[in-house]
Amino acid sequence: MVNALTPETTARPPRPRSAGPARTAVGPRARARRHQAVVAYLFLAPVLLFFAVFLILPLGFALLLSMSHWAGFHLGDIQPAGLDNFTSLFAGGSTFLTPVLTNTLLFALGTVALALAGSVLVATCVDNLRFQGLWRTLYLLPIVTTVVAVGNVWKYMYEPGGLVNGALNAVGLDSVAFLQDPDTALPAVVVVQAWASVGTAILILTAGLKSIPESYYEAAALDGAGPVTVFWRITLPLLRPALLFVCVTQFITGLQSFALIIVMTRGGPGDATNVAALEMYRQAFSYGDWGTASAAAFVLFVVILLVTLAQLWIFRRKGEDA
Amino acid sequence: MTGAPHGLSRRRFTLAAALLAAGCAAPHQGTGRPNDPIVLTLLSHYASGELKAALQGPVDEWNATHDRVKVRTKAVEFNDLLTTFMVRQAAGQGADILQPYCLWNGQLVRAGVLRPAPPEDAAEITRGYGAAAAGSASVGGKVYGYPTEAQTYALYYNKRLLRESGVTHPPRTWRELEDTAYRTTRRDRYGNTLVQGFGLSTYDESTTVGQTLALLNAAGGTFVSGDGRRTAIDSAAGRAVLDLERRLVSSGASEPGVNVYKAFQSGQVAMVISAGWWTGSLKAQMGDAYRDVAVAPVPVPELGAKPATLATGFMLGVNASSQHPREAWEFLRWLNTDRVGVGKGATVTRMSALQVSVGSLTGRADDMRTLLGKGGDPNLRPFLDALGYAVPEPNVPGAQQAKSLLRKNVEALWTGQQSVDESLRTIRRQVDREVSRSW
Amino acid sequence: MIRRRFPWLSYLLVVTGAVLTVVPFLDMVMTSFKGPGESGTLPYRFLPEAFDLSNYRAAVDQLDLPVLFRNSVVATTVINASVLLTSSLAGYALAKLRFPGRDFIFRLVLSTMMFPPFLFFVPHFLILVHWPLAGGNDLLGRGGAGLTVSIVALVMPFLVNGFGIFLMRQFMVSIPDEVLEAARIDGAGEFAVWWRIVVPQTRPVMVTLGLLTFVDAWNEYIWALLVSTANPDVMTLPVGIQMLQDYVDPTRTMPIVMAGLVLSILPVLMLFLLLQRHYVRGIMLSGLK
Repeated sequence: MVNALTPETTARPPRPRSAGPARTAVGPRARARRHQAVVAYLFLAPVLLFFAVFLILPLGFALLLSMSHWAGFHLGDIQPAGLDNFTSLFAGGSTFLTPVLTNTLLFALGTVALALAGSVLVATCVDNLRFQGLWRTLYLLPIVTTVVAVGNVWKYMYEPGGLVNGALNAVGLDSVAFLQDPDTALPAVVVVQAWASVGTAILILTAGLKSIPESYYEAAALDGAGPVTVFWRITLPLLRPALLFVCVTQFITGLQSFALIIVMTRGGPGDATNVAALEMYRQAFSYGDWGTASAAAFVLFVVILLVTLAQLWIFRRKGEDA
Repeated sequence: MTGAPHGLSRRRFTLAAALLAAGCAAPHQGTGRPNDPIVLTLLSHYASGELKAALQGPVDEWNATHDRVKVRTKAVEFNDLLTTFMVRQAAGQGADILQPYCLWNGQLVRAGVLRPAPPEDAAEITRGYGAAAAGSASVGGKVYGYPTEAQTYALYYNKRLLRESGVTHPPRTWRELEDTAYRTTRRDRYGNTLVQGFGLSTYDESTTVGQTLALLNAAGGTFVSGDGRRTAIDSAAGRAVLDLERRLVSSGASEPGVNVYKAFQSGQVAMVISAGWWTGSLKAQMGDAYRDVAVAPVPVPELGAKPATLATGFMLGVNASSQHPREAWEFLRWLNTDRVGVGKGATVTRMSALQVSVGSLTGRADDMRTLLGKGGDPNLRPFLDALGYAVPEPNVPGAQQAKSLLRKNVEALWTGQQSVDESLRTIRRQVDREVSRSW
Repeated sequence: MIRRRFPWLSYLLVVTGAVLTVVPFLDMVMTSFKGPGESGTLPYRFLPEAFDLSNYRAAVDQLDLPVLFRNSVVATTVINASVLLTSSLAGYALAKLRFPGRDFIFRLVLSTMMFPPFLFFVPHFLILVHWPLAGGNDLLGRGGAGLTVSIVALVMPFLVNGFGIFLMRQFMVSIPDEVLEAARIDGAGEFAVWWRIVVPQTRPVMVTLGLLTFVDAWNEYIWALLVSTANPDVMTLPVGIQMLQDYVDPTRTMPIVMAGLVLSILPVLMLFLLLQRHYVRGIMLSGLK
């Protein structure tokens, strides 16, 4: 990931007139280097300050809270609790593991599967059409729109008098209470999340497709390989880096996003669409249970880390096989 | 919190402030100068429509007659109320006066949001209100506020639908309730339900939980044990309630997926247990058809059993971090204990008048009798009588979570996802874990 | 090749997908024109009976639109300016200056992209509440409302963006050192080199980063919801429109919400359509991480 360092910038004394006699001496060079370091840290100061206050400090604070009982609002009331918050998340009777964490994984998995399938199809198809820019722009519309719009439009379309049920009725099917029925609510939300994220995936896959040398396809055509063979033997394997990137980022997004769920279902009916990040939000800001909320956040963080590492590992192993 | 209502109250406030404090900007607490008025904020869920107007009336009256202390109302929707209390408290911007749903009192007291009532107010509250109302406003034996809106649960029934099925009087026992439910249920020849005998509805939390707890209380059971540390639903009474509900659903007399509020209005539900506030909106929306609506006490398992039902409510309390608790209690006393005339020498409190004007009840039975005697809706009577024997909704810390857990499990029972045994077991495990936390 | 042999199949798939993508937006626009009793009734109709503007008027009446717009614009502008400035400064230092700790800081910047935002939700909020000497707080951050009383709270957690720094750094690496050297020999300080040479040369990537940042900031919902719950005065457009649902007459709620949504997404949509080339490039570059 880290690019090779750029060629060393030749350090020069700040003023030309001191250059002559001091060229071979260590003093001015060292001074110049020190000067550059000072300047560099000045350039970096805002960023470093920000990371100190909004990255390092919050991480420490969250870790502290996750191991404390704190139901109040005064910092002085924080009491150490060891791993209580973590164990109680997984204790008997806790809803955190099922259904909340299960929902989270299903939500992410469903989103990734749908978005990946859709984007691979569209990206390979769009690659050879005219007006590629137009198509990509259209597919990007959901991404540049606020989640409040996406959620409300779809919530409305899922209603009995909405577009989706209207379409179902038009072809002679019964209406479905998508968001009210615990069995359909999660799949219904998954479809929307996938719909909204397919555009980014298409773009990244398109970039990947463009980097596949045309000669591979020509060779395959000479060998008389059919389109399906070409897709499975050439396109997909060479698309692996782009696919990996889409998979990893969409999984991370899917595991942690809950804005769409807040807008569409507030986690309901019952716990049918409740996910870990929403549960964390509620524990903190509705029930004032900062400790449980922070513990839940760390558990979700670990889940995300494990899922990401697992994907990297699987993709790498596949790569070695091929 | 949207612009229009908020903008309105801000303009109103600006006007008042401009009139009273010559040229002093006093956005929140006053500037601390001796002549500036103290501005108290009041946060409730009376966010729109007639509720907002009903509260604004007395507040405007107070502001017009008091120079030293002004009250400014703020409101959010009920669904956002608890989160708003907690977030604003965390941000040091909690309102001086809060109107919480009593279910949350345990949580708010534990978090140090509510301030106990001063002794004279506490005495007035225990003396002047019914036991259920005063109980909801208390946590651990301490009183925290004036009960405002009080709700009890009773049985709404459609007289016409009962009559058409040959039932002459509303059910008094569970056996009669079941018989009536089965007799009034109607289907078309395709099997679509035309009339539900008894409307169990998953439409919202207070419907699902309210009906179940009203029946549980009527069977002599309670949701949470006396010490508030475990659930008591896994009992004979709890089992009887869930069995009854399961029978009603599996026989088709109840269709939990239907929005019971709409269905009852349009004559598609014969009976449903709900709270007193509903009479007002039924009357407004049903027009002439409202004459078919009647209310009876929640049926008890056996004839002669002691009547009981569920009581819920709101209260007005003072924020523990308010800078002006004395003034806040002074305002609450004016609103909730000072009496105003309502003709013929009768007097009631401003809060009682306010609640009845929007079709609700207060915990003050005497006021309610005075106001209902003056041409009020006779359907409110059973709710008023219930104030005397209703069981307050538990308000231990974790009660909101316990209520949500109960709701999820009752829904799972109704939709056939789990049996009565499983439901009772899961509720006990989940709720016990939630309410038994020691801190 | 599927695409070579069956172009019609490709067209069919792509067009179907595009229709599925666009139809919800059209439905939103159509619903925003539907009159009372016209939406949510059976059977479903796509087109409104008349293109009635009353929902737009109602949305404007119900919402304090000027305030919501102002908050959204201020927050988006501040975030954008800060992200561009800090990313460019830090990117320059990481790409073109030599100093001890450079690798470590670059790695730190990369690692910030891996932390999911929800991890910081609770601590960020509490840090803003307990910000010393703000909103009535004492030196130890106690006693007041901290920064949550001001619009600063809306933008604080977004002022620096790890991806932005990374993007800038990658671009600046390719600027030839000779050019910078020449300027330095002419006596320009590092700041002047950055301002006069580096900034103009990175203008295209600035547009890309600015657009990405704009879209994200304008559409942000969760943090804005939290901050507006604490202090409704800093409510942004998405939060305000979501609140609209709870208030108005149920038969007209959805059309009015849709009208509000149309108004709120117009600015970002226009900007996106104008500059979509840059946006597309930004997304593709993000694949480089």
